[in-house]
Amino acid sequence: MTHVIPASVPQPSFAEAIKGRYFSTRRDTIVSLVFAAIAIWLGWSLVNWALVNATFGAGQGDVCRENMHGGACWSVVSARWRIVLFGLYPFEEQWRSGLACAIMVIVAILSCVPWFWSPRRLPVLWVAGFAAFYILMRGGLFGLPEVTEQNWGGLALTVFIFAAVVLLGMPLAIVFALLRRSELPWIANTMALVIDTIRSLPLLSIMFTFAIVLPFVLPGWAIGDKLYRVIAGYALFFACYQAEIIRGGMQALPNGQEEAAKALGMTYWQRIGYIILPQAFRNALPPTINQIVITFKETSLVTIIGFFDVMASGRAASGTAEWNFATIEMYVFVGLIFFVFVFSLSRYGAYLERRLRVGTR
Amino acid sequence: MRKFALGLMATTMLTGVSAHAQVAEGSRLNTVLERGSLLCSGHNGSFLGFAEVDDQGTWKGVDIDLCRALSAGLFGQSDGHLEIVPISWAQRWPALQSGDIDVVIKVSGWTQSRDTELNLAYSTPYFIGAFQAMSKADLGAESVADLDGGTLCVGAGTSTERATATYLETKDIEAELLTFENGDELRNAYYEGRCDALVEWAPSLAAGRVDAPDGADNHVILPDVIALEAEGIIVPEGDADWLDVQNWMLSSLWFAEMEGITSENIDEFKENPPSETIAKFLGNTPGYGDRLGLDNEWAYNMIKEVGNMAEIYDRNIGSGSPYDLPRGINALYNDGGVFYPFIVD
Repeated sequence: MTHVIPASVPQPSFAEAIKGRYFSTRRDTIVSLVFAAIAIWLGWSLVNWALVNATFGAGQGDVCRENMHGGACWSVVSARWRIVLFGLYPFEEQWRSGLACAIMVIVAILSCVPWFWSPRRLPVLWVAGFAAFYILMRGGLFGLPEVTEQNWGGLALTVFIFAAVVLLGMPLAIVFALLRRSELPWIANTMALVIDTIRSLPLLSIMFTFAIVLPFVLPGWAIGDKLYRVIAGYALFFACYQAEIIRGGMQALPNGQEEAAKALGMTYWQRIGYIILPQAFRNALPPTINQIVITFKETSLVTIIGFFDVMASGRAASGTAEWNFATIEMYVFVGLIFFVFVFSLSRYGAYLERRLRVGTR
Repeated sequence: MRKFALGLMATTMLTGVSAHAQVAEGSRLNTVLERGSLLCSGHNGSFLGFAEVDDQGTWKGVDIDLCRALSAGLFGQSDGHLEIVPISWAQRWPALQSGDIDVVIKVSGWTQSRDTELNLAYSTPYFIGAFQAMSKADLGAESVADLDGGTLCVGAGTSTERATATYLETKDIEAELLTFENGDELRNAYYEGRCDALVEWAPSLAAGRVDAPDGADNHVILPDVIALEAEGIIVPEGDADWLDVQNWMLSSLWFAEMEGITSENIDEFKENPPSETIAKFLGNTPGYGDRLGLDNEWAYNMIKEVGNMAEIYDRNIGSGSPYDLPRGINALYNDGGVFYPFIVD
């Protein structure tokens, strides 16, 4: 899109624009100056705390403790970053956890490349990436020592839960959305009831139920590891929200589209696969990205049911006698990790929107 | 049948025949031994002094050492036979009942509702969580009584507040209570000098002392116990065999301390047991393990790996750790504490 500026309006210079916007009256000037001063003071204190007065480098715990510089103590990150990233994963095997995370990130980046956007290539990429991640993390094959899910932790666990939930939840959401739109009222109504019931329950209670209550109810062979039960519960929760988003995308399509497809003699699956879903996804892209971002952030709820995700391992990293004073720094570091992931996700979403021209039709 | 059983019991008692202990079919002890590893409670994060994670991502702390001791007692060594399962506070009881963990060793106080309504069984307490006062060293106070006329900082609306008020009343000490909603505020108020002493759970006090802005040496934790909570090991109710193992594990750790047996010198004791009792305790003569359904050398293996109770305490929260919390009420009875071993016979 190019902006066309009408010739009749003279464009003000930069200085004029600033003056006109912020200093046109005396009251404006005062308000602007006060807020500028507050902003500069806040920014300066933050820079002072985080950089100027901060203590860097490992093994500087005593310097921090005596508060010699008065700023942040980033030594805690240098000393304990491995716990945040890898949690309780065995120390000598942590390269596997790191590599597994890197593979997931590469898969995510590759799936941004349009060449992979085909119904065959994208699933193959993700399934292969996921399998590589799982084999590296779990071991027991190719001479890698076995590391059970119990010992997974840190960023690797967060990434695993997130990826598994989205990969399982997305197809489930499509199925739910189609059932919800079924022409048979009893199917549509039952699905609506299920979706609304799950949406009216807090995520935490669903996780608790799947992690703790299910083992009492299910027969022994169906219990599985706690991790997979929680992923199943979370994927169900994700699917219910995402199904409504997809349904919204479907309802935005004019009825004529489906009728025209029927008139051409397309089968149900052809109509869904070639006409409805591609357009529904395009319509539903912004809320879908939103839902995925929320899903990533809410993975940290699993700490309540005793998983050592990035949040819990952050707390464990600062929770020892040596580093207990540096909790804030640790939280900032964990926050930064979340920021990197979520910000790249939203940028990717914005790129997709531009590419698919969601805003214009 | 009943008569027969009674008769059998009587003969056994009379003749003193000690057969192998019959461990009940459904006991968690059998499950654990068959599985070949113990699932013990960890933490989703850390709890200072009791469950922390070191730089290499391995667990340490008092509770973790007790898990290791239990595993070493059951399997000879804990390496490869112990899994620390990270669980949250809220999750510990359901996780125990569902079998996600075999035992809860997670500084959990013995309360009536837990003991009865939740169907849990508590071992003899292994730690007394005392509420104590910390004051500035230059005040020269040696007990809470010396704080007469001063001000104490406590958390608002907590049981600590009530207990402190009652304690002051019964001891006839005139002191003002300053309450704070938030834990950080509470500590800062004390460090800034708004009160003469801070009342908290002793291990928290010790942790706060380490982080004192003016240095740990400027603060002393007074020995008076204002209120206490008895922390025990928890197993499901109705599993007497499994509970016995917990109780005798704790007793063995105290017994070793009482007899001066440490992880360092235990081999000398084993080669040259000074008494019949110690020979039995270390498994030189049979009985100490058999009766529980364990190896006779189980106590030896346990102490060889983690040491006696004094070593566990000192390493994690006592003089050998940054917390440097005096043992006080947690010592053996002959050192001014409340703990004691049971009789080895």
